[in-house]
Amino acid sequence: MTDVAIAGYAHSTIERRAGRPLGAVAVDTARAAIADAGLTVDVVDGFISSTMLPSAGGHRTVDGISMVSSAWMARGLGADPTYVAGFDGIGQLSGSVGMAVNAVISGAADYVLVHRALHNPAAGYHANPMREARGTHQWTAPQGFFGPLAMIALPYTEYLQRFGARREAMAAVVTEARKNGARLPWSYWWARPLTADEYLAEPALADPICRLDCDIPVDGVAAFVLTSAERARDLPNRPVYVAGQTNSFSGRRRLPLHWPLDDIIDGGVDVVRRLWQQTGLTIGDVDLPQVYDGFSPLVWFWLEALGVCPVGEAHRFVEAGGIDSDRPDSIPALSGGGALGNGRMHGVPQMLECYLQLSRRAGDRQRDVSVGLACQAAPHFGGVVAYTAEPG
Amino acid sequence: MTSERPVPVPDETSAPYWAAAAEHVLTISRCRQCGTMALPPDAVCTACGSTDPEYEFTPVSGRGVIRSWTVVRQSFLPGFDVPFVLVDVELTEQADLRVIGRLLDGLDAHIRLGAPVRAAFEDLATGIAVPAWELADD
Repeated sequence: MTDVAIAGYAHSTIERRAGRPLGAVAVDTARAAIADAGLTVDVVDGFISSTMLPSAGGHRTVDGISMVSSAWMARGLGADPTYVAGFDGIGQLSGSVGMAVNAVISGAADYVLVHRALHNPAAGYHANPMREARGTHQWTAPQGFFGPLAMIALPYTEYLQRFGARREAMAAVVTEARKNGARLPWSYWWARPLTADEYLAEPALADPICRLDCDIPVDGVAAFVLTSAERARDLPNRPVYVAGQTNSFSGRRRLPLHWPLDDIIDGGVDVVRRLWQQTGLTIGDVDLPQVYDGFSPLVWFWLEALGVCPVGEAHRFVEAGGIDSDRPDSIPALSGGGALGNGRMHGVPQMLECYLQLSRRAGDRQRDVSVGLACQAAPHFGGVVAYTAEPG
Repeated sequence: MTSERPVPVPDETSAPYWAAAAEHVLTISRCRQCGTMALPPDAVCTACGSTDPEYEFTPVSGRGVIRSWTVVRQSFLPGFDVPFVLVDVELTEQADLRVIGRLLDGLDAHIRLGAPVRAAFEDLATGIAVPAWELADD
């Protein structure tokens, strides 16, 4: 247990394209989060985020417009910080939370604002007019391997073939995410659930991946305030404690965006093993494992990495109702709607659901849960944070 | 002969690779210290730890097996006629040595995990050929 807790949060509406600059939405959201925590900007002395725009389109990024760095945020708020940093790896939000925990424990900052601002750039998201492939691109782009759809399609095919799974089984994942997202007023997909027939009618873009297997690019911002557990207990909201955080590490050398299934499984088992070692928890203690779903197959991969079900079984487990949030005996792994049910918010839906449920602020969606996991990105190339309702 | 597709721009490190490819010879960079192959080459060999791996592009058999595949139906890059098949190939020379490229047999080819393939080449422009794959006999 880390002795660090979340004291408050705020979340913008998730829109396909916001009518205002991302930075303006981000500052409003940060101010709301700080107020929600019962604090004022002058005491917030730490700012941590990640600026990655997850697109292969080669878009030029502009701070405050297409991404929002912590330095831009601190300036925009008129803050007087002692610690401003960015997480540089994959698993952007889980990594930022890890840095915030370290900052609070080390004394680098007392109150840390962690935010994530996602932008949907104009024109094609991944389309890239590249005519000359230089540097690392020369090993993949001329060969026709480019962009995240082919990246995830390869291990997805490998999974279907190796474990005798059917693409049709993925309908249970996508409809579950959309069902839960449809219940969230801030979600892009609010009041718009998806049927299995609609999912199965969607043509493939990179077999077996179709558009509905991918989260939709959006504009949206979330912000959380983290501080010591001791300070959090003096603030208005019930604290949610960070029990631990681990980042994936895959030491295997691969071509860019090449994710063999074995790398995903082995890396996932490793990152989860380290989380249990760090926290003393086991999967049996977890009643709210929020798996990452930026691409639908990642749900299967995370469920297996976490040990919710054995490797090769997640397709059957989900199809049999194993993660149905409306069944009392199931594991609510996408109860927060995930990315498929909210929009491309890069780990925010998973962290937000853990926070809302464990702080008992989930309203009519409130569940009786006490230990949550917020997974992000791929099991071998991401991270996971464990949260608890009670201090360790 | 010109290509609308992205063409590789050889650099100081990769020039021997693309020169061999132009002759339809597949090479893989090999650490001179320990002999482990890896693509692309890097400043350090992660197999032996050498910081002077002096990677050397060594001809390989061009034989391998399919470890996975996808049919690309929407290309994010210019110049590719869709749909086309992309394969993840494990080369016979070294366990888990993987490369990715187009399978030139078309969409109706019988593709399965473990299917043997051999290197083929697509001539994109004068002096520029890109490795691809064809199904081979068992």
